[in-house]
Amino acid sequence: MPSADATFDLTPVAAPPSKRRGRRRTIGVLVVLALAVLGLLSQGLLHSLNYFETIDQAMNSRARLGTETIRLEGVVEPHSIVRTSSGASFWMSGGGKEVLVHAHGSPPQLFQANIPVVVVGHFTSSTSDSFYGTQILVKHSASYIAAHPKRVQAPNGTVR
Amino acid sequence: MIKQLSQRLLGPVTLLLLALTFWLGLWVTPPDKVQGNLARLLYLHPAVAWVALYVSFGTATIASALYLWKRSRSLVMDRVAHCAMEVSTVFILLTLITGSIWGRPTWGVWWAWDARLTSTAILGVFTVAYLALRRANDDAELRARRSAVFAIIAAINVPIVHFSVDWWKTLHQGATVFTQDGNLLVHGIMLWTLFISLVAFTLLFFWLLRARYRLDVLRGERDQASLEEALVQRRREGVH
Amino acid sequence: MIRVAWLVAAKDLRIERRSRVLLWQVLPFGVMALLLSGLALGAAHAGHSNAAPGLYYLVMVLVALLMINRSQVIEGSPGTRASVATLGLDPAGVFLGKALALAVELWLTGVVLLAGAVLVLHTALGGTLSALPSVVVTLGALAAAGTLYGALSGGGQGPATLLPVLSLPAFAPLLIAGERSFSAALYGGALLQWWVISLVALVAYLAIGILLYGVLEES
Repeated sequence: MPSADATFDLTPVAAPPSKRRGRRRTIGVLVVLALAVLGLLSQGLLHSLNYFETIDQAMNSRARLGTETIRLEGVVEPHSIVRTSSGASFWMSGGGKEVLVHAHGSPPQLFQANIPVVVVGHFTSSTSDSFYGTQILVKHSASYIAAHPKRVQAPNGTVR
Repeated sequence: MIKQLSQRLLGPVTLLLLALTFWLGLWVTPPDKVQGNLARLLYLHPAVAWVALYVSFGTATIASALYLWKRSRSLVMDRVAHCAMEVSTVFILLTLITGSIWGRPTWGVWWAWDARLTSTAILGVFTVAYLALRRANDDAELRARRSAVFAIIAAINVPIVHFSVDWWKTLHQGATVFTQDGNLLVHGIMLWTLFISLVAFTLLFFWLLRARYRLDVLRGERDQASLEEALVQRRREGVH
Repeated sequence: MIRVAWLVAAKDLRIERRSRVLLWQVLPFGVMALLLSGLALGAAHAGHSNAAPGLYYLVMVLVALLMINRSQVIEGSPGTRASVATLGLDPAGVFLGKALALAVELWLTGVVLLAGAVLVLHTALGGTLSALPSVVVTLGALAAAGTLYGALSGGGQGPATLLPVLSLPAFAPLLIAGERSFSAALYGGALLQWWVISLVALVAYLAIGILLYGVLEES
């Protein structure tokens, strides 16, 4: 029989965690997570979040698109821009195909020939290669080149 | 000694590099062939985004992970994560503002619902939510644990923001420096100015982080001191 | 883990069945929100708008927020957390159970509101039915994510207002995936792709929850 002044440790004791099981589960879950992400990427499923359709993509699925509003991307063909009272008309190319764009509204200040643009609008019919645009967005490239690379600085400090 | 020196020099060097960036960016570098003078935002926007997404959010995530890892768990890590996330919130906001200012004259719109912009905005909301989560919990341990878990979940968004321009067709331009084929697309002094801006803003982050951390420590000490003072007063009231 | 999950799910659903909060509060709220979204579109557009799938998911997100709060309130009643801790239940099982119960409630509400979308927003019945698998998976993902964020926001100051701030950024991709797959079912497009994206989100949130729920509940 224990004496009256014997001290008992009554603080709750937590059961020792089963480390091995926990680690196995962690690894298993991480593998599932990695497989899910890899599966997603390898299937190219994420391509569905594209901001625009390229001209060749749009032309190939023109029957399905009909006159639905889409964002169409292509490069403005040189010497094709005609400024109109309501906006601009120009040929836009991409993937070896061309579309005639009639855009309404004033284009952004960088709008020019040979620049990639995204036009919001729709084909005039499901068989036509004519596109009616309500907005032009200029999609500038990631390269930065000096406007006048061969410019020289005169002794008086002015740049020519 | 070296540590003290580097701490003392951090502020002046940051200011010097920022001044150098602005001088090179505004006066020395030439206008771009297509974008003209608009391209001068190249020395501001990418550097701010670099700090927002990778440096500050990265610091917050690593500190959070170190907090959750039992061997390195300490409230210092939690404090670092908090301070870095606050700086990240400011820089994400600046990224969105400078991006908008650049977008209006180039694209023609202030905002586009493309993958890069949308994922960055969502990351910004995550950082604000992180700060809200911290304010909602008074218990230091609980707050630290919850914030660390939240920071790690939010960090999933960072690679999405980074690779968004490669995975999806976006209105936002593709990578300029970290291109997939390793080719640099910026030429001459424009590239050097871009690099200097990246270094300058990275140092600015560490400077801000240090200042914010010190402020947090001082605030903690002040709270502790006022608590002790209040206790002393209560005791005195008991004596009288 | 699975046994604990069943126990917790059964407990949550039993409480829901007895309290009838889902039936008398959440469901009427969802129906009202759907009607209001029709009104917001305007009488001329409400019947044939491409926005119907997006509005449906927006309403479901609002409904989910209510339900997640409710799910946390159950845990917050005095002694519940302490008794769960004393029982030594596997936190991963608790997470799965709570997520399952929430998913069942969301599925029930989701089906009723799909019928509402057919009636009020005039979505085609065939397309709506073919969207059902993607709705099930997306709402499942919403439940898994919601359970995690519910645990994050519970217990502190103003959990009801904190929950939307924490969870809405995470719900955004689910809303996009759900809306796109529903749209694809109604108007044609990549239905399967978006369904798989929702499925991956579901798996990812379940995995994160299994790993981290224990850390959140740790005392």
